[in-house]
Amino acid sequence: MLCEKCRVREATIQYTEVVNGVRTEHNFCAQCASEMDLGQDFPLGRLLSGLLGLGTESPREEKYSQVVCPTCGTSYGDFVKNSRFGCPDCYEVFDLLISDKIKQLQGSDSHKGKTAKNQTEKTERQEERAEAPSDGKDGLEEQIARLYACQQAAVRREDYEEAARCRDEIRKLRTGSETDA
Amino acid sequence: MLKWFEETDRESPNIIYSRIRLVRNWTEYPFSGKLTEGQAREMVSRLEKGMRDFCLEEGRDYDFTMLEELSDLERRALRERRILNGTLASKKDPVGLILSRDERVSLVLNGDDHIRMQFIAPGMKLKELWKEADRADDFINGIFPYAYDRKYGFLTAYPTNVGTGLRASAVVHLPALSSGKKFSSLLGEMSRFGASVRGLYGEGNENYGSLYVVSNQKTLGVTEEEIAGLVEKVARQLAEQEQQVRDMALSSDRLGQEDEAYKSYGVLKYARRLTWKDAMIFLSRMMTGVSDGILKFDGPCPVFSIMLGIQKANLQRISQRPLSRAELDVARAGYIRAELPELSGI
Ligand SMILES: [Zn+2]
Ligand SMILES: [Zn+2]
Repeated sequence: MLCEKCRVREATIQYTEVVNGVRTEHNFCAQCASEMDLGQDFPLGRLLSGLLGLGTESPREEKYSQVVCPTCGTSYGDFVKNSRFGCPDCYEVFDLLISDKIKQLQGSDSHKGKTAKNQTEKTERQEERAEAPSDGKDGLEEQIARLYACQQAAVRREDYEEAARCRDEIRKLRTGSETDA
Repeated sequence: MLKWFEETDRESPNIIYSRIRLVRNWTEYPFSGKLTEGQAREMVSRLEKGMRDFCLEEGRDYDFTMLEELSDLERRALRERRILNGTLASKKDPVGLILSRDERVSLVLNGDDHIRMQFIAPGMKLKELWKEADRADDFINGIFPYAYDRKYGFLTAYPTNVGTGLRASAVVHLPALSSGKKFSSLLGEMSRFGASVRGLYGEGNENYGSLYVVSNQKTLGVTEEEIAGLVEKVARQLAEQEQQVRDMALSSDRLGQEDEAYKSYGVLKYARRLTWKDAMIFLSRMMTGVSDGILKFDGPCPVFSIMLGIQKANLQRISQRPLSRAELDVARAGYIRAELPELSGI
């Protein structure tokens, strides 16, 4: 069997990932395995490419590969290839395309634990809102959900202008009126 | 000053060291992969200036270096000592490294993410290390606002780190357990809890030294305390099961166990040539003998420190020249002879 990363050398290392009880077998050559540092850092970053269906030439993937983050220029195609984002905004831009995969990979799609204590106005406003009565917050979440649906629909019909507009709206709601730090 | 790996921890047998790694990104720049060289240089220099206060506050001695100023050999030696990972050791972009003299604390600036903090200690110290990392993180966040999202938490270049940005790991020595038939199914069981277990120096039968890394699989949707707790629980469970198997072997065939430990010590103490593989096999057996109280020394015997020291880049660094394979084996045997303490009470 050929190594699934380089597809050149013979795979000698069998490697089993279990995420959420789903067992995935991977086969690497010694060189790729050592480059991925199976020992030290988590290699799944690179393996995400496989999960996202790199190499499958479905028309759906092809269409999405044109979606580009306006802040850093990373395209969805780049992300699928490298499993790597270019800037914090990529998370919002590609959210629709990747949230299911992130959930599959991480077993969750929402953060628990420590929060950032950024000393900026932006975060203070965020915190204020987080402490606001829950009905207000629900309204906000609903609005965001609606905008997501709108963005998703826009991406589907390849109307990237409209998708970008929805994204900016979502960003405004999430972070207050500023859009950039 | 002693490096962390030269110290030994007797409180948690079979747990060699534990590590907390935290990644963060500054809101002012895109992620490291998208920076131009000029931007990267500017960011590293601004981060480094900001971190000076952190170093002062900590009261430890720190050194700052740009990785590009280091030779390839020095970088590889840093990788061998677990300061850099493979990607960082070969990265050509401007990368800054702030390293405490005891090498317990390291901060990599402009690696895969803007800031990568690593805290490491012998034995099982994940709770303490997390507290230390948490404090450092708060301090640094007071200077640099972090890329953060209410849904996804701390934003990282790879979505496999998103959320907490935390990787907790522990290295356990499992020579007896890993040679058993049920080992792979045991590891499968551990991964169902969300922990991954893999060989430190290779997979399967090729993992010479029988050292295994336990780490968390998920970084999102679990708290930092839950992550550290999970890795600690799995590492302790493996270490205890290892001890049970060894205790059984000791009570059924003590002479056999003693023979193996002393023979290994003898080979290591007197050999003139040792391949890395052979050295790791004997050092692992010696580690077992020390841990089980068979081999006794007047002072501590940091076997893991020797395991780190016998790697290629370190031996070449000591010799101050490139070594052929045959020369490496001679240098390795010499290094071990010099580092191994004399047995006491025989
Ligand atoms: Zn390969
Ligand atoms: Zn981006």
